[in-house]
Amino acid sequence: MATTYHSRRGRRMRRLLKIAFFIGCIALITACGSGAGERGAEAEGKIKVTATIGMITDIVREIGGEHVAVTGLMKAGVDPHLYKASQGDIKKLDQADIIFYNGLHLEGKMVEIFENMAKKKTTVAVSDRIDRSMLRTGAENGMDTEYDPHIWFHVKLWMKAAETVRDTLAEHDPAHADDYRKNAETYLQELQRLHEETAEKIESIPKQSRVLVTAHDAFGYFGDAYGMKVMGLQGISTASEAGTKDVTDLRDYLIEHHIKAVFIESSVPRKAIDAVIQGAKEKGHPLAIGGELFSDAMGEEGTPEGTYIGMIRHNVDTIVEALK
Amino acid sequence: MSTFWIVLTGALVASACSIVGCFLVLRKMAMIGDAISHAVLPGIVIAFLIGGSRDSLLMLLGAAAIGLLAVFLIQWFHQSGVPSDASIGVVFTALFAAGVVLVSMYTRDIDLDLDCVLYGEIAYVPWNTLQIAGVDIGPKAVWGVGLALLLSVVLIAAFYKQFKICSFDPAMAAAVGIPVALFHYLLMGLVSVSTVASFESVGAILVVGMLVVPPATAYLLTEKLGRMIVYSVLIGCASSVIGYFAASMLDASIAGSMISIAGGIFLIALLFSPSHGVVLRKIKQKQMVRQASIAE
Repeated sequence: MATTYHSRRGRRMRRLLKIAFFIGCIALITACGSGAGERGAEAEGKIKVTATIGMITDIVREIGGEHVAVTGLMKAGVDPHLYKASQGDIKKLDQADIIFYNGLHLEGKMVEIFENMAKKKTTVAVSDRIDRSMLRTGAENGMDTEYDPHIWFHVKLWMKAAETVRDTLAEHDPAHADDYRKNAETYLQELQRLHEETAEKIESIPKQSRVLVTAHDAFGYFGDAYGMKVMGLQGISTASEAGTKDVTDLRDYLIEHHIKAVFIESSVPRKAIDAVIQGAKEKGHPLAIGGELFSDAMGEEGTPEGTYIGMIRHNVDTIVEALK
Repeated sequence: MSTFWIVLTGALVASACSIVGCFLVLRKMAMIGDAISHAVLPGIVIAFLIGGSRDSLLMLLGAAAIGLLAVFLIQWFHQSGVPSDASIGVVFTALFAAGVVLVSMYTRDIDLDLDCVLYGEIAYVPWNTLQIAGVDIGPKAVWGVGLALLLSVVLIAAFYKQFKICSFDPAMAAAVGIPVALFHYLLMGLVSVSTVASFESVGAILVVGMLVVPPATAYLLTEKLGRMIVYSVLIGCASSVIGYFAASMLDASIAGSMISIAGGIFLIALLFSPSHGVVLRKIKQKQMVRQASIAE
């Protein structure tokens, strides 16, 4: 008798607990759901733009001026190859009128998503209008359909990106097209000056010392544009690791050519570069760290390095200072 | 709308993974998902070298081929007498290493790694839609993972008894005339298909987590295989729903939150499960000690 009573009570308890659990779940979900969706009305009347990397956010801010509210997905110091999305990104992409991204596979699989989204909203790759013959390829391996995406280190190419942003904004918002063109003209002039200034500064380095050694090959365009030999320890991707042979090859090259300094990068760990420095030291060649360069991401917002122009200037000054 | 698609995708991944995951947990092969996630690297490199582009369908085919090879090798080694954990370890490290060698030999100028060419991100699922004759029929991920789920449900339902005996007692299964090896390979094939399809749409962590955590939780709650499958599907789906809203409150990674919630549910089950629960067992022990002392 007693056992059946107990088991019946136990069963009822268990059923009650189950019901309570489900009610709890539903309550939690509705509570969370109602909390979302009430934010994001502050940018009323402005065109909402979302950009992937900081360099593009910067262009949009300069050219869009007061008519555009721009949000960046990737913050300072983030490696775009390894970017992890958060839940908030969904809203940033959902609410955007225009989405700008670099393209050329810089954003990995996200590029495919943006191409797919183009059916529903304006998504533009800022690299789209650059003549493909101007781009670096993996041609040494016979793979000339895949391009090096780090185009912002060639200021001339980046000016093309700015023009793409200008034309997209003007087309999307004809009422303010004149403002966009005016802003763009000022900005393009600044970029032109930056380009000339960079070329001049690099020329002040003695010819045989114009060798830029960094952790990964982000500076290929920089080398092409301003006449520096660029050597990297890793391949293009920040995920492939440097092999032992790369480290010793690079060390021997540096010793042979009396290169004074190598550089570390803001978004790539410095371990591989440290190995080269250590190796050179053991062979009696003093090798300094020339400083930190910005590669895939800009500096913190609010600092001079938090803008595209400031970032390039910082890199050039650091390089010239260390190699001169 | 995007909330609905993401939660649905999460629930589909959770169901597809936890169904096959139950059999894997019973066979002590739970980490096979992690193994496949690494082992497919040479697949994408070879697919790239043959096809010359990072097109996602091409990458998926390469990954699927090597994924099948990996589970085949794991099963074969295991049947040849290598312990299951060691055969998983050997196969995935060797294949991954071969992939790293291939990348460093042939494709070092190109950004080719699992994170950026194969693994998807559940946050972007709503925009990656499929169109047939100009009509939008919903995200690719929902269709891809849904098909993988359907395939596992149909096959496991059709051969439920065989799968069950093979997992619990292979010797007896062989004795009653079930082709044990065939069913093991079939199960492993299912695992490979559902994991690779899910990697492509939602990324690695969600798949590896859903293969292990909900089945392991269900394992603590019941001793019957049928119930274990049902519980683990329910736990998986609950984790993805609660995880999504947790991610939305914290503005955090969605897949990360879903698996963290699953981990939390596991912990609760570990502490309070009626049969295996740590807390209940402690209470029962105390009661027994008290009864024993009264009896004295």
